[in-house]
Amino acid sequence: MLNELMTALHAVATIQNFLIIAAGIWGGVIIGAIPGMTGTMAVTLALPFTFYMDPVPSILLLVALYKGSTYGGSVSAILIKTPGTASAACTALDGYPLAQQGKAGKALNMALYSSVVGDFISNISLIFLAAPLALLALKVGPPEYFMLMVFALTTVAGVSGNSLLMGFVSACLGLLLATAGEDMYGSFRFAFTDDMQAGLSVAPVLIGLFALPELIKLIVFRNPPKARMMEIGDDRVSGREFRSVAKSLFRGSFIGVLLGAIPGIGPSAAAFFSYGSAQRASPRAANFGKGEIEGVAASESANNGACGATMIPLLALGVPGDVITGVMLGAFMIQGLTPGPLLFETNIHEVYMLFIGMLLSSVLLLFAGKFTMRIFTTIAKIPPTLLSPVVLLLCLFGIYAIGNSMFDVVVLLALGVVGFGMFLLDIPTAPFLIAFILGPMIEENLRRALATSRGDPTVLISSPITWIFAALILFVIALTARREIGKANQRKADAK
Amino acid sequence: MTSIALRGLGIALFFGIVLGVLIPGYVPKPAFIPGFALPPDFWPRVIAIAGLLFSLIAAGLGFAGQGTPVLPSEVADDDTPKRVLLFRFGALVAALIAFVLLTDVIGFLGAAMLLTGAAIMLTGERRLLAWGAGLALILPVGLYVFFTEALGTQFPPGLLFN
Amino acid sequence: MKKILASVAATAVLVAGAASAQDYPNEAITLVIPYGPGGASDLAGRALAESAGKFLDEPITVVNKPGAGGMNGARFVSQADADGYTLLLARVGMALSPAVNPQVKTGWDEYTFVGSLEATPMILAVKSDSPYDNVEELMAAIKDDPGVMTYAASGATAIDGFTVQSLLSDAGLDPLNGATIVPYKGGGALATALLGGHVDFLAISAGSLMPHIESGDMKPLAVFSPERMDDLPKVPTVGELGYETAGQITGWSALYGPKGLPDSVQAKWDEVLDEVAEDETWLTLAERRGSISTVGEKDMSAYAKSQYELFRGLADEFGYLGN
Repeated sequence: MLNELMTALHAVATIQNFLIIAAGIWGGVIIGAIPGMTGTMAVTLALPFTFYMDPVPSILLLVALYKGSTYGGSVSAILIKTPGTASAACTALDGYPLAQQGKAGKALNMALYSSVVGDFISNISLIFLAAPLALLALKVGPPEYFMLMVFALTTVAGVSGNSLLMGFVSACLGLLLATAGEDMYGSFRFAFTDDMQAGLSVAPVLIGLFALPELIKLIVFRNPPKARMMEIGDDRVSGREFRSVAKSLFRGSFIGVLLGAIPGIGPSAAAFFSYGSAQRASPRAANFGKGEIEGVAASESANNGACGATMIPLLALGVPGDVITGVMLGAFMIQGLTPGPLLFETNIHEVYMLFIGMLLSSVLLLFAGKFTMRIFTTIAKIPPTLLSPVVLLLCLFGIYAIGNSMFDVVVLLALGVVGFGMFLLDIPTAPFLIAFILGPMIEENLRRALATSRGDPTVLISSPITWIFAALILFVIALTARREIGKANQRKADAK
Repeated sequence: MTSIALRGLGIALFFGIVLGVLIPGYVPKPAFIPGFALPPDFWPRVIAIAGLLFSLIAAGLGFAGQGTPVLPSEVADDDTPKRVLLFRFGALVAALIAFVLLTDVIGFLGAAMLLTGAAIMLTGERRLLAWGAGLALILPVGLYVFFTEALGTQFPPGLLFN
Repeated sequence: MKKILASVAATAVLVAGAASAQDYPNEAITLVIPYGPGGASDLAGRALAESAGKFLDEPITVVNKPGAGGMNGARFVSQADADGYTLLLARVGMALSPAVNPQVKTGWDEYTFVGSLEATPMILAVKSDSPYDNVEELMAAIKDDPGVMTYAASGATAIDGFTVQSLLSDAGLDPLNGATIVPYKGGGALATALLGGHVDFLAISAGSLMPHIESGDMKPLAVFSPERMDDLPKVPTVGELGYETAGQITGWSALYGPKGLPDSVQAKWDEVLDEVAEDETWLTLAERRGSISTVGEKDMSAYAKSQYELFRGLADEFGYLGN
C-alpha cells in the first residue's frame, strides 16, 4: 500500500495538477460567493473542459469546484445575507447579525476554519472509512430516511425566533410550496400554469426569501444598516473562541460526513441538522440567530464535511448522491472509469491520486478562502444604497442562467415580496426555507415506505436506525415543549 | 393585541383556501396510482391542516391577549407616514412587474438596466447618482457578456431587437 | 403608403430569412436537455454537442431544463422560434408522456424530427443474492403473491415503469398491482434502492446498471432492446423470451427541433449527422454510456409515431386514461 501511495503521490504532484486544483478551489469560492451563482453551475460549466483532461485531474477539478463553492456560499451569506448556496442558509442566520455588529471578519474567518476542518475530516473519512460508511448508507431505506429527515426538520424549532408557533406556520408554508410540481408517481400538483408543472427550484426560492427582503426593507424604510457594519473590525477568532465552539465544529463535521455518505441527503440537510444540534447542546442557545459564532461553525463545518463524503457512495458504490456527484459520475464515465467497488481493484492508482489531490485541496481551500475574503470584504465598503440593487442585478442574471428560465426569475421576485410580507408579519423565513428543502425528502420517503409495506405504518419504526431517530425526535419535542412552558411561565411572572 | 389575532386568522384563511379550493381543484388523482399507495393529495392535505391548526391557535392566543408583538422594531420605530411607506413599496413592486413585462419588449439586458436604475433611485440615493448610473449601465452589460460567452445563456432579446 | 411599407417589410423578412438559412449556423446553437445534469440523457446531449460541434462551424451550448418528467424542456423547445438555433435532445419520454398522462399538453408531434441518435437498452435486474435467475422465476414469484414484490421506477408513467408493467401484463398479471411500484428520482437513486435491498427488482436504463452488473452486485435477467447487448451476450431480450409488448419497449434519444424548421436547417443537420454517425468521439462515448448509436438509421417521425401509438394503446389497456 505504501509503495502504491508513493507512486500515486509522485504522479499527482505536478505543477499542472496543483494549478488545476488551485484554479478549481478559487473559482469555486468566487462563484459560490457571488449571489445567484451556484456550485452546480460551476461544476456543469467545467464539465466540457474535462473532456480534454486526464481522468484524475478532471475529477479533482470538479471536486475542487464543489468544495470551493460550498465554502464560498458562506461569504455572501455573512456579508449580504445572500446565501450563495442553500447549504449556507443557516450560516446567514448568525453570520449576517455578526456582520451587522461589525464582526464580519470574525464570522468569515470562523466559517473558513470550520469549512477547512470539516473538509479535512471529510477527506480522511473518505480515505479510511469509505467501505463501512457506504455499507451503512445502503442500509438507509425509505423508513430510516424518513425518520432522519423528520429529525432534521426539528431544527425548525430552533430557528423560529421569538415565536415557535409562527415558526411552525412558516414551516407549513415551506412544505406546502415544495409540493407544487411533479408528483413522484408522475402527475402534477398545483400546476396553475404550464411552468408550474416543473415546480419551484431551490435557488430562486432561497435567494428570493433571504436576499430580496433586505433590498425591499432598504427601499421602504430607507434605514440602511448601521455604518459600523462597513468596517470589518474585530476579525480574529481567538483561541478561546475556537475552543468554545470546538465541540459544535467537530460534531458538525461528523454529521456532515455521516449525512453526506447517505445518497440523496447532501450538504444543505447536513448543515440544518448540525445547526439544530449545536443550538440544543450549546450553553449559549439563546444567542443563536442573533450573531452566535458557534452557529456559523456548526453550519459551515457540516456543509463542507458533507462535500467530501458525498464522494463515498460515488466511489465505493458507484451511485451519485446528488446533482453534483451525478455530474462527476458522468465525468468518470466519459473518462472510461467506472466508479464502484471495482474501481478500487482495477484503478487503485487513480483512487490514491484522487485522495492525495483531495487532501491537497483542503489546504488550498484555506489559502483561497483567506485571499478571497480580502477581496470580498471590500464590497462592505460599497454603500448599501448601491450594493443592494447590484445584488438584485446579480441574482437576476444568475437565476435566469441556471435554467434559461424567466419563470425562475418571476419566482425569485415573487418570493422576495413574500419574504418582505413575512418580515412585516413577524413570521421567520428560515423555517420556511428548511421545510422547503427537506419537505420533498420527507414526503417521498414516507410514501415509498408505505408503498413497500402496502400501507402498514409500523414500517416506519421497523429497524434500529428508525428507533434511534424516533427517540431523538421525541426527545427534541419534549425539550422544546419544556422550554416553551418555561418561557410562558416566565412571561406570566414578568406580567405580575 | 388584535393584530396578532388578525394575522392568525389571515393565515388560517390562506390554509383554508388551500384545503378547500386548491387541493380539490389542482391536485388530480390519476388512474395510474395503485390503490393502496398514498395519493398525491395526502401530504398537501396534512400540511394544510397542520398550518390551519397552528394559525388558529395563534389567532386564539391573540384574542386571549397573549402572544408576541407583531410589528418588527424597524417598523415600529419608523416615524415616516404610512402613506409614504406604502408608496415606496408600491413603486418597487411596480418596478419588478415592469421588469418582467419589459423583458419581452426591450429584452432582458435593457430591462435589467432599467430595474437597477429604478432600484437605486428608490433607495433614496441622490449623492452618488453618477456611480449609480454607471453601475446600472455597465454592470448589466458585463454580466450579459459573461453569461452569454461563458455559459451560452440566451437571454430574451425582446421584440425590438429581434 | 401602407402597402409599400408592408411589401418592404415582407421583402426584408424574406431576405433576412434566406440569408440566415444559407449561413446556418452563424451563431451558437442551444441544445436543450430535458433532464438534469449527469444522467444518461445529459451525457448523450453533451457527447452530441462535442461531436456535432466539430462539423458545424458554430459551437453547441448544452442547457439543462429538467422538470415535469422531461416535458418542461420539451415544451420550451416546441414553443421556441423554428430557426434551428434551439434544438431538443428528445428521449422516449417525449412520445410516452403525452400518450399516458392526460395532464401533459405538448403532443408527441409538436416538433420537427431532425434525426434519431441512439438506442439505450434497458435492463431487468435483481440483486446478485436474489433467488431468481431468470424472468420466468421472477414472474412466477410475483404470481404466487401478487403485490408483495416491489420494483423501483421513476414513476408509474415513466419509461422504466412501463418496462415492468408491460412485462407484468404480458405475463398475464395486473400491470398496476401485480408488483408494487416504488418511485425514485434518477438512475443513481434507482440503482441504490436495488443495491440496498429496498426493492426486489427493476428494469431501468443500462447506463445506470452496467457498473453494478460488472462488479457482480446485480444480476441481469433480460434486456429491453431489439437485439442483445454486445456487453451482455448471454442475457436474452424480452422479445426473445416471448413477451411481445415488452419486446417493443426500449429507450432512445433523438434530435428534435420546433415544428416547421426550414429545409435548409434540416439539410445541414442531415449532413452533420452523417458525419457524426462515423465520428470516433461519438461512437466511443456512446459505447461508454452503454448505448447503441442509431444516427441516421430510422425514419424518426414514423418511429416516434409508432412509439406514441404503442404507449397510447398500453395506457388505454392498463386503464391509465380513465377519469
